[in-house]
Amino acid sequence: MGDFAQGFQMVANISTLLWCAFGTVLGIILGALPGLTATMGIALVIPISYSISNTATGIGLLISVYCGAVCGASIPAILLGIPGNPNAIATVTDGQLMTKKGLAGQALGGAVIASMIGGLGSEILLVFFSPLIAKATLAFGPAEKTTLALVGLVIIASVSGKDILKGLLMGALGFVFAFLGTDPISGACRMPFANALKKTVLAGGFDMTSTLIGLYGVSQVFAELANLSKPQNTDVATNIGKVFPPFKKVLSMWQIILASLGIGTIIGAIPGTGASIAVFMAHDSASKICDASNGKLDKPGTGCLEGVFAPEVANNAVTGGALIPALSLGIPGDSATAVLIGALMINGVTPGFQLFSTNMPLVYSIFITLFIANVFMGVFQLAGIRLYPKVLLISQRILMPIVLILSFIGSYALAGASIPKGVFNVGTALFMGLVGYSMKKNGYPLAPVVLGFILGGMFEENFRKAVKLGAGTMERFVTSPICWVFTLLAVVIVVSSVLKNRKEAKANNA
Amino acid sequence: MKRALIIMLVALVATTTVFAQGLEETSASFPDPERTITIIVPQGAGGGTDTFARTLAAKMTEISGQNFIVENITGNSTGTGTNEVIKSEPDGYKMLMYGTYTIVGTSVGATDGASGLDFISGLTLEPFVIGVKADSQWTTLQELIDYAKANPGQVTIGNAGATGTTAVVACGLNVACGNCFNVIPANGGAELQAWVMGGHCQVGIFSQTEIVSGIKPLAFLGETRSLNENLGDVPTIVEAGYGDLTIPYGCFRGLAVPKGTPDEAKNWLADTVKKAFYSDEFQSFMAKKGYLQTFSTLADTDAYNAQLMADLQPALKAAGLVKK
Repeated sequence: MGDFAQGFQMVANISTLLWCAFGTVLGIILGALPGLTATMGIALVIPISYSISNTATGIGLLISVYCGAVCGASIPAILLGIPGNPNAIATVTDGQLMTKKGLAGQALGGAVIASMIGGLGSEILLVFFSPLIAKATLAFGPAEKTTLALVGLVIIASVSGKDILKGLLMGALGFVFAFLGTDPISGACRMPFANALKKTVLAGGFDMTSTLIGLYGVSQVFAELANLSKPQNTDVATNIGKVFPPFKKVLSMWQIILASLGIGTIIGAIPGTGASIAVFMAHDSASKICDASNGKLDKPGTGCLEGVFAPEVANNAVTGGALIPALSLGIPGDSATAVLIGALMINGVTPGFQLFSTNMPLVYSIFITLFIANVFMGVFQLAGIRLYPKVLLISQRILMPIVLILSFIGSYALAGASIPKGVFNVGTALFMGLVGYSMKKNGYPLAPVVLGFILGGMFEENFRKAVKLGAGTMERFVTSPICWVFTLLAVVIVVSSVLKNRKEAKANNA
Repeated sequence: MKRALIIMLVALVATTTVFAQGLEETSASFPDPERTITIIVPQGAGGGTDTFARTLAAKMTEISGQNFIVENITGNSTGTGTNEVIKSEPDGYKMLMYGTYTIVGTSVGATDGASGLDFISGLTLEPFVIGVKADSQWTTLQELIDYAKANPGQVTIGNAGATGTTAVVACGLNVACGNCFNVIPANGGAELQAWVMGGHCQVGIFSQTEIVSGIKPLAFLGETRSLNENLGDVPTIVEAGYGDLTIPYGCFRGLAVPKGTPDEAKNWLADTVKKAFYSDEFQSFMAKKGYLQTFSTLADTDAYNAQLMADLQPALKAAGLVKK
């Protein structure tokens, strides 16, 4: 307990609390502005955190920005149907439908509560099961990640809506976008006119975040612009309904919460994955749980709290999950924790198993700042909750150009100091916005493109590496139990969606 | 006579003052104290190169009073960041954290590299470490290479990325052993750590700070033992009996500016880097990390880099990283 007391002492000062508060508020604001991302927020505060002499406080600041940005992204996703950053891409559907039903308050409140459950829940897993989960994630090599990507890809079937063929086509389009750029094994430039383009910014392929900003944010702006001539509906904004979801309702979702928490923490802990995958998987598992509940739960995708809770629990669970390998193995779980490890190293602390034996007070102080960050995140975001819906009172004629500008600024700023890369990112966002708009207009679903784009690259890269590690054989896929489990899971998901579709078709015909 | 002497004295004082002022004016023209000098790191925030650049930039700011900042521009085998510097105004306000990775990037055709740059200084050489899983069957480099030679293609050796410095080391080692290894690029040092600790890949080329408790170091790729206290008892490649292997030992780092930058700016920068480099704090930072010092400036760095590029050619060819 002496270690805990020492760790507590390291962070029990006003400056830590103030920096955490500053970090959370900054995170929520950046998260809520469409186009500006969590990684960008962290990049903004790195110089500040490096200059804070107290290591624990500096890390607290980084963690606070991270947690705040993940949570804040749900605000525009729910109110405008535009995710603040890719963490909220699976929150859009149900959040937006709830707003249209006049339940914006409950959706916003539910998202905050879900985020806190996700954040604190994954912290509990981090504190008590860190070495265990870290060891488990080590079992994930390229072969295992290939099958994990496969499970993600078959979700395309369930996010495609009524027309599976359209969904598959869009998934394939996502693959095409993912394959442009540098070959993951040989480093060759993979695109048309490679010789002319390899010294330009295009050689890096599409930037993932700019692509997502374009597909979700910019395309939504275009869609709203098309609606400008129609009369504006403002009565939803004035009556946002109750803010806190009924306690009983939250309790009834315990299975969804636990499943999403598990998915978020584990996916977060596996290096090279991320929240964008976790949120779709959580949303999909919530649908499955709901199917099995005999109508006690509302079906995600129809504009219900379940569909907001699942991804919002999962994306904040990723924040705790990503810290597991970072602290116990010294391996970052995502880009945000990579920066965190850098911050630790610059202060002369090497993360890894030995950190737990040699510098336990620092580990405790990180746990405490993570707790503070999650609580502040909830408190600050709830504090403003009656304010956010006012954004709907603003005329679309003013709001949409602002969103468009922010989306472009966000994509531009992602490139850091490089002007050509920034311009390319803006071009990417605009191009993807047009792609997304024409898809929406013609009834093609967006989520499959995103899944294809994120998972296509992961699938290809890991499959090729798995085969190369197996000296040209696919042996690992047969010998690894994890591969078996995921492959079977993928088959089950496909079969169950096919059966369900048939059943629904029959019911419609009857 | 006395009068003439006084007049002469006054004249002398006056001219020296004027002259001194003139000198001050020319030396004040670079840098403009209002402007910030940016160091472009073509790799991600939080990594070894980034940490090195940030620590150096902080020291340079402290010593010179001029504001130095670090910006990360990643992508395209470090080509994006490098091209950004090459294409920028050659006025000394934008520098590149040059490295062995730039040579690889040049070789694969992602950038013009050194031919578009002037060197300010060479800084360090960060030797790599050959590591295996903690409970691996191999305890020495000799055992590993003997096994690999007896079972060609059976032993997997990973690096941190297809066009990174560790890829050149891994491929160089592979060639030196008669292509007995199966070389695979991971997506960054972190993934490589996970692969080796999880038993997916048997051997890895790591930077010194990546050797965590789940990874057993077999050999340190330097001529003398590591300065990093955690790795002090790891045998060098020479001690392991492979001193004759012609493979690159590690990642060289230096500072460069766009070609055509005025000498005045280059000299001022070289002088400032030198002061920061030899400060007690920066010296102890490098010792703690286990970085070797290869300090040189301007033309000397050019020569050093030319030699390095020539030395790397066989390994680059072996790695398939030479594009015509």
